[in-house]
Amino acid sequence: MSTLLPPPKEIAMLPVDWVEERSGAISFGKYMLFRNVPKDISWLQTLGSALITVFILQATTGIILAMYYQPTPETAWMTIQWITNEATLGWLVRGMHKWGSSVMVVLLFLHMGRTFLFGAYKYPREMTWITGAIIFILVMGMSFTGYLLVFDERAYWATIVGVNINGTAPILGPALSYILMVGPEIGTHTLSRFYSLHMLVLPSAIGGLIFLHMLLVVRLGVTSPPWSRMEPTERDV
Amino acid sequence: MPRLTARERREGYQREYAFQQRHGKPFFPHVVFHDTIVSLIVVALIMGITILWYAQFGAIPTDPMAERTGGLLGPAYEAKADPGVLGYHPQPDWYFFFLFELLRIFKTPELLIVGTIIIPTIWMVLLIGWPFIDRNPDRRLSRRPIALSIGVMVPIVLLTLTFYGSKVPAEGGAASTEPGAAAFAAGACSTCHVLANAGTAGNVGPVLDEAKPDYATALALITNGQGSMPAFKATYTEDEISCLAGYVATWSAAVGTTPGPNAATAKDYPASCEKAGGLFAGNASSAAGP
Repeated sequence: MSTLLPPPKEIAMLPVDWVEERSGAISFGKYMLFRNVPKDISWLQTLGSALITVFILQATTGIILAMYYQPTPETAWMTIQWITNEATLGWLVRGMHKWGSSVMVVLLFLHMGRTFLFGAYKYPREMTWITGAIIFILVMGMSFTGYLLVFDERAYWATIVGVNINGTAPILGPALSYILMVGPEIGTHTLSRFYSLHMLVLPSAIGGLIFLHMLLVVRLGVTSPPWSRMEPTERDV
Repeated sequence: MPRLTARERREGYQREYAFQQRHGKPFFPHVVFHDTIVSLIVVALIMGITILWYAQFGAIPTDPMAERTGGLLGPAYEAKADPGVLGYHPQPDWYFFFLFELLRIFKTPELLIVGTIIIPTIWMVLLIGWPFIDRNPDRRLSRRPIALSIGVMVPIVLLTLTFYGSKVPAEGGAASTEPGAAAFAAGACSTCHVLANAGTAGNVGPVLDEAKPDYATALALITNGQGSMPAFKATYTEDEISCLAGYVATWSAAVGTTPGPNAATAKDYPASCEKAGGLFAGNASSAAGP
């Protein structure tokens, strides 16, 4: 009987082989894991991956918050209050979302500073820098739209000032303000518009750009520190 | 500095990349190890800040509409947003302080656009276009004096703006007893404007003692807003706006008990204040109306 069955190891590999044959996912994963990166890259080059971690953390806590939060002027503040005071570990989820945004902005600055000092935006990595810069601006947009959602005093007045700042732009300004607030005042539609921007439009844009950013990093190779030996010597060639 | 041809540049990169591939280390476990440690530290940091924030909350307030106070890291939440609330100091989250400070620097109506649109737009263009501005192919810092000085300057400028942007306005003095003064001092006006007669020291908008708006200007601005100033036509009644505009026109740049230069234009003042009634009571309505 036993001769009819392949050895257990092969049975275990069957689903893996099935996936590999149909998608190439396994060899792709192997390439990603075992591709060589410059020898002297270091702790300084971990900030990008830390940012992805924080992005995942923000997405996860954001999804949990969205299960309880209701974006109307009557309920927004009440649900925030309920999440903070009543929900099991609600304060932790909301707090990590709130403070995660601050940490994300700090990490973005450090990541950008590291890229700047390493000159890692130079040929051929200009597009990696541009996608990163747009991610940075969109993250600031996330912070701005997220601020109103708590709907407390600070959120309300800071958003009014922020929207009015948009309104000072020539020609498009007043229209932009009107579009952001959905009318002349902050109201029901302002909240749902900010909510939609905050949890659908901006995160998907940021997610897409992160994907592009990483694709470029893998394609072009991680930049070695500027102090490392840049050129092969005769001995290496 | 040397200018490379496109071909030299491409071949230089390919040579370097091939060399690093050959003499590199595998992504797993080396980079994965570093990345995991740093990610864990970052998550622990976020959790630590959150726990510290939580630990300093006061008890859940008995009044369900009250704010839940906090310590060093701020309250759990402030009181519910209320457009009619009086005397609130608007402040953004810390990472917008640098923009907030620009708003304060260019606070006059003519210059406002410099702080709100022109400078931020220039910054964004420079940020995105930086690889096309810095054409120096060398990556070593010793060969990049200009880039290095910019790289040092930018954080200094941002941190300075952030520091000044974080300052809350100084405490004002006592309001006078003129009609409208108490309403001005207790109302939204005080958060942004300096007006000696009302004893306010808000540092966001123009100093009214210097701007000296006449009645018509003040009335239009309070009613419809302009720039970063909100419109108050939904918050205050016509009489109340007329009272505030009359008060501002009359007493901006007033010396002692002598009304200021625009006093004569402030029609209906102080009659409109009497019609509006004391401290504009009952105005905090329609806070959350759709």
